[in-house]
Amino acid sequence: MPILKDIAAIAKGMSITFREMFAPTVVENYPDGPGPLKGAKVEPRYRGVHVLQRDENGLEKCVACFLCAAACPSNCIFIEAAENTNELRVSGAERYAKVYNIDYNRCIFCGYCVEACPTDAITHGHGFQNASFNASNLIYRKEQLLAAVPAHLGANAIFNRADVEGGAAAVPVPGS
Amino acid sequence: MADVNITVDGKKVTAPAGTLLIEACKSVGIEVPSFCYYPNLSLQGACRMCLVKVEKMPKLQTACTTVISEGMIAITNNDEVRQARKSMVELLLGNHPLDCPVCDAGGECELQDMTFSYGAAESKFMEAKNHKDEQQWSPVVYFDRPRCILCYRCVRVCGEAMDVWALGVQNRGVVSVIAPNKEDHLECEECGMCIDICPVGALTSGAYRYKTRPWEMNHVGTICTHCGDGCKTTLGVRRSDSGMQIVRGDNRDKSGINGDFLCIKGRYAFDFADDPQRVTTPLIRRDGQLAPSTWEEAFELIGKRFAEIRDKEGGRAIGVVGSNRTTNEENYLLSKFARVVLKTNSIDHRRTADFPAFAAAMVGKPHAAATMRDVFNAPAILVIGNNPTEQHPLLAWQIRNNVRLHRARLYVINSRPIKLRRQATSFTEIPQGTEGQAAAFLGGDDSAAEALGSGSREMWVGLRDKLRGEGKLIIIFDSAIRGKDISALVKFGSAVSGAKFVCLGDYSNSRGAADMGLYPDFLPGYRPIADASTFKDEWGDMPTAPGLNVSQMAEAAAAGTLKGFYVVGSNPVGGLGLDPFAFSNTFVVVQDMFLTETAQMADVVLPSANAYEKAGTFTNTCGDIQLVKKAGEVSDVKSDFEMIVRIADATGFEVRKLVPFGGRGTSADMGQSRGAQSGEADRHVVWLEAHGLEPKMSPFDPMAILDEIQRLVPGYDVSRMNLLAGNDQHTTTVGTGQGGVQDAKLIAPANDNLFTSGTLGRYSRALNSVIENRNPEPAEEVAAD
Repeated sequence: MPILKDIAAIAKGMSITFREMFAPTVVENYPDGPGPLKGAKVEPRYRGVHVLQRDENGLEKCVACFLCAAACPSNCIFIEAAENTNELRVSGAERYAKVYNIDYNRCIFCGYCVEACPTDAITHGHGFQNASFNASNLIYRKEQLLAAVPAHLGANAIFNRADVEGGAAAVPVPGS
Repeated sequence: MADVNITVDGKKVTAPAGTLLIEACKSVGIEVPSFCYYPNLSLQGACRMCLVKVEKMPKLQTACTTVISEGMIAITNNDEVRQARKSMVELLLGNHPLDCPVCDAGGECELQDMTFSYGAAESKFMEAKNHKDEQQWSPVVYFDRPRCILCYRCVRVCGEAMDVWALGVQNRGVVSVIAPNKEDHLECEECGMCIDICPVGALTSGAYRYKTRPWEMNHVGTICTHCGDGCKTTLGVRRSDSGMQIVRGDNRDKSGINGDFLCIKGRYAFDFADDPQRVTTPLIRRDGQLAPSTWEEAFELIGKRFAEIRDKEGGRAIGVVGSNRTTNEENYLLSKFARVVLKTNSIDHRRTADFPAFAAAMVGKPHAAATMRDVFNAPAILVIGNNPTEQHPLLAWQIRNNVRLHRARLYVINSRPIKLRRQATSFTEIPQGTEGQAAAFLGGDDSAAEALGSGSREMWVGLRDKLRGEGKLIIIFDSAIRGKDISALVKFGSAVSGAKFVCLGDYSNSRGAADMGLYPDFLPGYRPIADASTFKDEWGDMPTAPGLNVSQMAEAAAAGTLKGFYVVGSNPVGGLGLDPFAFSNTFVVVQDMFLTETAQMADVVLPSANAYEKAGTFTNTCGDIQLVKKAGEVSDVKSDFEMIVRIADATGFEVRKLVPFGGRGTSADMGQSRGAQSGEADRHVVWLEAHGLEPKMSPFDPMAILDEIQRLVPGYDVSRMNLLAGNDQHTTTVGTGQGGVQDAKLIAPANDNLFTSGTLGRYSRALNSVIENRNPEPAEEVAAD
C-alpha cells in the first residue's frame, strides 16, 4: 500500500519536527537576548575590537613602541608618541601613546598586532558590533579602545608623588 | 706600502702592510662584528666582539688590533669563535636593560643587530640589573647609563676627531662610566657626534627622544641649509596635520662630503620649519596693516603693479634682492626674471665673500679650486683669517682630521688665537683687519709686512719661503681678503706647485647665488653685463647698463626713484641695516618664512618654503654642487621658484620663455614626478633621466632650469647622472677673464658662530635652548688640553 508508506514517511518526518519544536533552541537570540552582548555568545579567543590594557596600577601598558603598527599588514594603526613627565604619567615606561588610532575600515582582525606587542598592551576584545553608516566613525581613538580603570583603584589611584610630597592635595593623575 | 698576503676563511686576501685584520676581512666581504672599532679613530680593543682565530696564536685575537702579516691564516667562523661571540653578547647584555620598545635606538641598534646575528637565545645571568636614572647632559644630549656598553666611541670621537674632549671615563673596571667634562653637564660644541656614533641607545638626542621610531619615518638625504660647507644631513620625516614634519636630522647616510661629520646646525636646527610664527598665508597691506589674503589676489596685485612700474618708469625703478639660501635654480631664475621680465639689472644679494674677484683671479686655472674632499687629503693647508671651527665646522673637521690622520702641515694666520691653532704647525698672529696685507705680502708686496704687527720681517719672509716650498698647498681665506688681495694670493699660489684655493662664503648657497649672477653688473657665470651676447640670444632682450646694488637701491628708494622692491628670501633691513623708512613710498614684495624686519615693511608678503621643503641644487663654498631633496612639507606655502614663475605669469609674460618646460619627451606626468612623498620625486627623476625621458611637464620644475644652467653657466656642466644620484660634483671655476673688482664695502660677512644661523637660527628652538644654557666661557678654554 503505497499510501500507507507515504503516511509513515510524513509521520516520521513530522516527528522530528515536533521533537525539535520542544527541544531547547541552539540559535542565539541575538540581538534580542539579554545583557550587553544582546544574547550573542563569543568564544574566549574570538578576535574582536581591540582593547588597550592597563597594568595593576591603572597606568596604560602601551609604551608607544610602534611594533603593532609595524606588524600590521593593513596599515591601520596610527600612533603618536609622547614622553611621560612627573606632571603627567600615563604609562609605566618613559614613553606613552598620545594618539592611538585603529582604522576599522582597514583592520582585518588578523591579530598580528597582539602578537607583536612586547608589553601585552593591545589585546583583542570581544566587541563585534562596530558596523556604522559613516566610515569616519570606524576610526577608533585611544579613549574608545582603552580598558576601564580597575575598580580597586578607586581608593588607591596613582597620585603625583612629587606634588603630594610637596604638600599638595592628592589628586589622581589624569588617565589613571 | 708593500702588499701582504693572508688567508681568511680559505679566501686569499691581499692588502697593504699595516692593514688591520678587521679591515682586510671587510675588503673581501667577511664581516667581523665589533662595537668599539671605528674607522679613523684610535684602537680600543674594549668590546672583544671581534675575536677571531689566528693560526699559531694560542688564544683568540681581536681582529681590530691585529695587524696583518705575510702568510697569516685567520678563521672568523668556527665553533670557538662563534661561542666567543655568543659569550661576549651575553656579557654585554648582562646589565643592558631590555627596554628596546621604548629605546630610541630600537630598530637601528648595533647591539640588537649583533644579538640577532651572533647572540645566544638566552642568558645564564639571573642577577637583577643595576638601574641608574637617565641624565640630561645638555639641552640636546641625554645619557642612559645602564644602556651603555662602554665601547668608548663617544669619548674618542669627541676628543680625537672633534678636539673637544668633553667626554671621559670615570672609575675603572666594572664600575667604569662615561662622564661629561663638567660634573653633570657638557660644555662642548654640541655637535651630537657622540649620539650618532653610539652603537646603542645610551646617548640620545634631546630633539628626537621618544618622538617616533626609525622605521616609521621616511629618510631623506639632503643638503644642510645653514653654513656654506654643504654637509649632507639625513632628515627623518613623518606625516603631520599639515604635510610632512621633520622630526630628526642625523648622519645616517654617510655618503655626503661630510663623511662621519655633522654639526649642531645640521643635526638639530631643522625645527624652524614648524615655528608657530611662520607665515602660512599671503599677506597684503590694507589700511596700513598686513592682512591675510589669497594667492590669486596677491599674484594679481604684484603682477599688475610691477608691470605698471616697469612700463611707466622703466625697469630701473625696480630693485631685486636675492637670497643665499635659495637653490641655484631659483637664483638663476630670479636673475633671468629681473632682467627679462622686470627689465632691470638692479639685482643683488647679501655678499659674504668676493667671489667675482676670486673667479677673475682663477682665470686660466680651472682646476685650482679645491673641493671639500681635497681639504681632507692635502699635505699642507694655509688658513688666513676666519675661524673655521665656528663658521665652517666641516672645513675645520676636514683640516683637523687631515692633520691627525695624514700628518698634514697646517699654517694658520689669524688675528685671534682660533681653536685650529692647536693642530697648526705654525700659528702667526696678526693685528685685526690685516688679513689683506698678509695676502699682499705673500703675493710679493714686501712693504705690506709693516702692518703685520710684532712678527719680524725675517719671520714673515721665512714663512713665505716655507709655504712656497710646500707642494699641493690648499689656501683657505674668507671675506677679509677681497679684490686685489685675492689676486695677490692667487699669484702667490701659482709659485707653489699644485696649489689650490678655497674662498669661504657664509651661507648654504652663497657661492651658488654668486655663480648664478645675483649681481647688478654680472650675469650668471660672472659674465659682465656688457658682454651679454650669449644670454641675449637665449633670454631675449634685456637692459645693458649695470644696475643698482643693495645700498644704492635704498638710496634710490629714499630719493623716490625706486618704485618697486622685490625681496626673495632675504632680510636686507635686518641684516644689512637698510633704513626701512626709505621704502615707505616703494611697492615692496617679500618672499619669506617669517615676518622679518624687511617683511614687516612690505606691501605683500608671500610665505615661502625653506630649503628642506623643495628640490634643487646647492653649490657649497668650495664649488661642490649637490642635489637638494624635498623632505618636509608645510601646506599653504610655495617654493620661491613657483612664486617667481607665477609673478612672471601675472605680469603677462609668456612663462615658457622663462622656464623651458614641456616640448619633447613624454606627454604625461606619470603621476609620480611631483609625488607628495619626499624622495619619491627625486628617485623618479633619476629613473627618467636614465631612460632619457625627463618630462619637465611643469613650469615649476627646477630641472628645466637646471638644463639651462648646465648649458649656459661655465663650469656647471657636471655629470647630471651623478648629481641626481646624490653625489657631489665639483664645478670647475671658469672665469671669463673680465671678472673685475667689486666694491669691497658691499661685502657683509655673516659672522655666525656654531649656534647662530641668521634668521633661521632665530627661530630654531634647539639652537636657542643651547644658547640659553651656555656658559659664557668658550668651550675651547675648558677643554682638557
